[in-house]
Formats: sequence, structure tokens, C-alpha cells
Amino acid sequence: MKSSLSLLALGCAMAGPALAQDKTLTISVYSFAQDEYKEALYDPFEEICGCELVVETGNSVERMAKIEANAANPVIDLAAISTQDALSLTRKGLVAPIDTSKLSNFDKLYDTAKDPIGDHMAVGYTYYATSIVYRSDLVSVESWGDLLGEELAGEVSLPNLTSTQGPLTLMMLGKTMGEESDFAPVISQIAEKADDIVTFYARSSELVQLMNQQEVIAAPVGRFAWSSFRNSSLPFAWAEPEEGQAGGMNVLVMTEGSGNEELAYQFMDYWLSTEVQGKIADMLVDSPANKEVTVSDEVADNLTYGADVINTLNILPAAEILDKREGWVEQWNNEVIR
Amino acid sequence: MFRNTREGLALALPAAIFAMLLFLVPVGILLSEAFRTDGSWTLQGYIDFFASPLNRTVFLRSLKLGVLVAATAAVIGYAAAFCIVNLSPGSKGRVFGLVVLPLMISPVARTYAWIVILGRTGIVNMAITGLGLSDRPIRLLFTETAVFLGLLQLFLPLMIISLVSAMENIPRDVIPAARVLGASWPSVFLKIILPLTREGLVIGGTLVFTGALTAYITPAILGGSKVLMLETLLYQKVNVSNDFVSAGVIAMILILMSFSANLLLKRIATVRR
Repeated sequence: MKSSLSLLALGCAMAGPALAQDKTLTISVYSFAQDEYKEALYDPFEEICGCELVVETGNSVERMAKIEANAANPVIDLAAISTQDALSLTRKGLVAPIDTSKLSNFDKLYDTAKDPIGDHMAVGYTYYATSIVYRSDLVSVESWGDLLGEELAGEVSLPNLTSTQGPLTLMMLGKTMGEESDFAPVISQIAEKADDIVTFYARSSELVQLMNQQEVIAAPVGRFAWSSFRNSSLPFAWAEPEEGQAGGMNVLVMTEGSGNEELAYQFMDYWLSTEVQGKIADMLVDSPANKEVTVSDEVADNLTYGADVINTLNILPAAEILDKREGWVEQWNNEVIR
Repeated sequence: MFRNTREGLALALPAAIFAMLLFLVPVGILLSEAFRTDGSWTLQGYIDFFASPLNRTVFLRSLKLGVLVAATAAVIGYAAAFCIVNLSPGSKGRVFGLVVLPLMISPVARTYAWIVILGRTGIVNMAITGLGLSDRPIRLLFTETAVFLGLLQLFLPLMIISLVSAMENIPRDVIPAARVLGASWPSVFLKIILPLTREGLVIGGTLVFTGALTAYITPAILGGSKVLMLETLLYQKVNVSNDFVSAGVIAMILILMSFSANLLLKRIATVRR
């Protein structure tokens, strides 16, 4: 009898942690600013849900590959990715539609963030604007076309086409050439000027370094990197080109058949809340997709913030990028990189 | 040394298993991807790779830079090694230490040093504009020249170390004897030093060529996307395009090029013997 009670006690002791472990949410996110996310999002959520949050990070390709490889038995419950990656996963049947009635903060989102890829397969959590950062003491940039002009020849960097900013830059250069639907002439134009372009950068951190080393005096970049330039001792300015700013959005998706949907909805809703979006914005990590978030002028200056900015962004549809990217990359490799 | 073969095998087995499991097996699996398209075994990955003009350019550029770096390192290495072996024992240690010192510093730091030298505000451009040779800085970074210089600086110590080891085995009085008998310096080099240091040249050449071919950091920083090398292209295929077939093809090409360089150098050394 005594031994039976001991076994029962041992069983109960073992069952406790097992139950707690059962309430686990695994998320896949971009690897930057994880300390800030932990403070503003992960730790408070764990306290609210009484669950364990497993955070997996990596670049887009790695994270997409993992979701695809584990399609039969998903290990990721929720992912933060770009709109084109979300659409790619959707077309492969790897993400589940979102029941927006389960998101109390859904109506607080800007309209373009509510259903960015169609069929409610994703929901936007942050925007980013893309414009041109330049050395205001050396040059003045008024148009996207200035990037390929004589004044900046040999002193400009463009994003590589394979980066997020690449297609957006093509779109805006296309606007200056009257080629808004076909990027082939735009790529050919860049190829003609390839010798005047210092390099094609892959990451915004690389560009920050290039501009601080004075290798480059103008380049297109996402607004999220602007704080790195503002803190520099060199006089950088953010261009407001006559063609406007390009823009994009990152979204949240739920994997198909994860079996952890309720907790995923809870986490998604919390991430989209005014409180969390405001905290993350104040940390200058993400620009809010929740239109009720208010931030100081100083914070706003570092973000893609407010209806006036967001509603005028030139956003390239995810389907356009996904359907045409392979052809763009092939032409880019053959003509531009050589 | 051992009482029987079985004892020797038993001692070698743990290391062999370690190497097999942690190196050969995963690398083998990765490389096998290069021979698979749509689930069937094929060479299509290689055909597709070489059908692309960009890939051919990258392949030839990598081969050219690898050969140039190895050849230049050999020329500079022979001069440096000859000086080092003829120094007094105390000076030899100090100079040899200076040659080896860069190897103790991260390749990333060594590569970034080139930005300070070759950048628009770097030492070279300051000298050029200061001397009035040009009214504006010259583009030196993100060129093949920058990648060549970075790779040469990175791997030159390996060539010097190999050649110093080989030259120390040359009997001390052979070169003076040849000179006394009227041999010119080119003859001394071609007929005495080169044949007697072949092994060092093969080892150094293989290390430098393979190193230059497979280096990632230096071409990525000094060449960027405008001077793609096989290694930087491989990174792009894996981390940007998620194209593991092409990545496997490139990995196999790099391995084959490294083995071929070693075999070629060994062959040359054997033929001349």
C-alpha cells in the first residue's frame, strides 16, 4: 500500500510538469530585436496564458523550409513573415485561414493590414516604408530617378533584387520610367548603369556600414533602418521623392493543422493589441498596424506611422512578387550581376 | 609498433567513426542532392548549372582568382622563405612569428582592415588624392582586385610556412657551392631550390588555392554581389533561393577543384623529380 501511494505521488509529480508542457506555443519570427520582443510581447504573454512560448528564429528561407519540411506534423504554430512568403505558403496549403471573429483587435487594424493576401490567410502586424537615404551635405535627392542619374554615378548602392527592398526599388524606378507593370526594362536600365553602382547590398546593416564609411552617399532603404542613420555623426536625410515612397508589410500566419489554434489566436490577438503594438513601436522595433496606437513625434519620425503615410505607400502586391520574381532574378543575374 | 593489425585498427576506429559520422555522412547526403532532380538520379543539376552564363562567369572567376592567388603567394613566398631561412636563429624566430601572427587574427578582422586601406576615405585613396593623381577617390572596393588582395593577404602565411619548412631541409652548403661553380641565381632557383622544395610548394599551393576557392567572408565583404565567387554563390543558393540542388552542385565543384589542384600539383612535382 505504501509503495502504491509512493508511485501515485510520483505519478502526480510527473503529471504536473507534463500538463504545463502541453500548453506550449511555438512561434517562428525574424531574428532581430528579440530582447525587445521578449520584454514587450513574449514575457507578458506567458504570464497571461500560463503557457510556454518557444521562439524559433532565422532568416525567411530557413524558416519557410522548416514549415514546409514539417507539413505533415507541424512544429510551428504561428509565424511572422513577409506577405509574399505568406502567399507562397498559402499556395502550398501550409497555412490555415484566420477566423477574424476570434481577434478582438482585428477592427483596430488599418484596412490594408486586415486581409493583405486575400481569403483571410494572413493578418498584417507591421508596415515599413522604403525611400532613399542620402547625404544631405553632398547631394539632394528629389526623385527615384536620381539614383541612376549622373550626379550620383559611382556613389550609390541599390538593394539586391533578392532582398525585400529589391522589388520595391524596381517598382519605384519603373514609375520614373513609365514602366509600372513590366520590370524588364527597369532591370535593363540598371544593368546599363551597373558600373556606376558601388554594390548591391543584401541587408540594411550592410548599407548602414557602407554609408558610414562614406563608400556610398545615397541608397534606397526601409524606414526601420532609419534610426541607425539618425544616430550617425554624418548628415543623413530621408528623401520624400516626387513619386512617393514604396512600402510593404509583414504578416502573421497560422500553420495548417498545428492543433494549437486557440493559443495561437490568443497570441496573435495580443500581438495586435494597442498595448503591445504601442510598446514595440516605442522601442522603435516595428511600425504599428493597429491604427489606435499613438506615439510621440520623435518615435513617429523613426517609423512608418500614421494613416497619412500608410495610405499613400506604393505597395507591390505579394502575388506580383511571387509570380514574377524568378524571371526578374534570372534577368538580374544575367544582365546586372554578370 | 603494434602487436597486431587488429590492435592498430581498434585504436584508429574511434577517430574513423567520428570522422565518418560527423563529416563524411552529412557531406555525402548534402552532395547527393546535387545528383537528384524530382526524385531521380541525374546529372541535370550540373548541366543546368553550367548552362547559366552567370554561373560560368562565377566558376571561371573563382578558378582565375584561385590560381592567381596561389601563384602570387608562391612567388612572394619563395622570396620570404629564402630570407627567413638565412636569418640568424633569433631573428628567424621573430620574423617567422610576424608571418604567423596574422593567422591568429580572425579572417573577418583581417578583411575589414582592407576597407580601411582601400575605401574611399582609406589610406590608398588619401595618397592618390593627396598627391594630385586624381581629383576624386578611385573605386577600389567591390572589385576583383580587392578580392585578390584580401585573399592573398589571408593565405600568404600558409605558403610561407610550407616553403620555410621545405627550405630548411636544403643542405646549407648546396647553394653557395652552386654559386661558386658559376650558377646564376635563376639557375640556382630552377635547378636546386625548386626541385628540393617541391613538397612544400605542393602543400602550400594546395592550401592557398583551396583556401582562396572556399573562402566566404573575404569575397563577401570585399567583392559583394558584384564580384560573386563560387562560395558566395553557394551561400546565396542556400540562404536566399533555397535551391539545395544548385548548392550541392557548387559544393561538389568546389571539392573536385580542390582535389584536382592537389593532384595536379603532385603530378607536376613527380614529373620534375
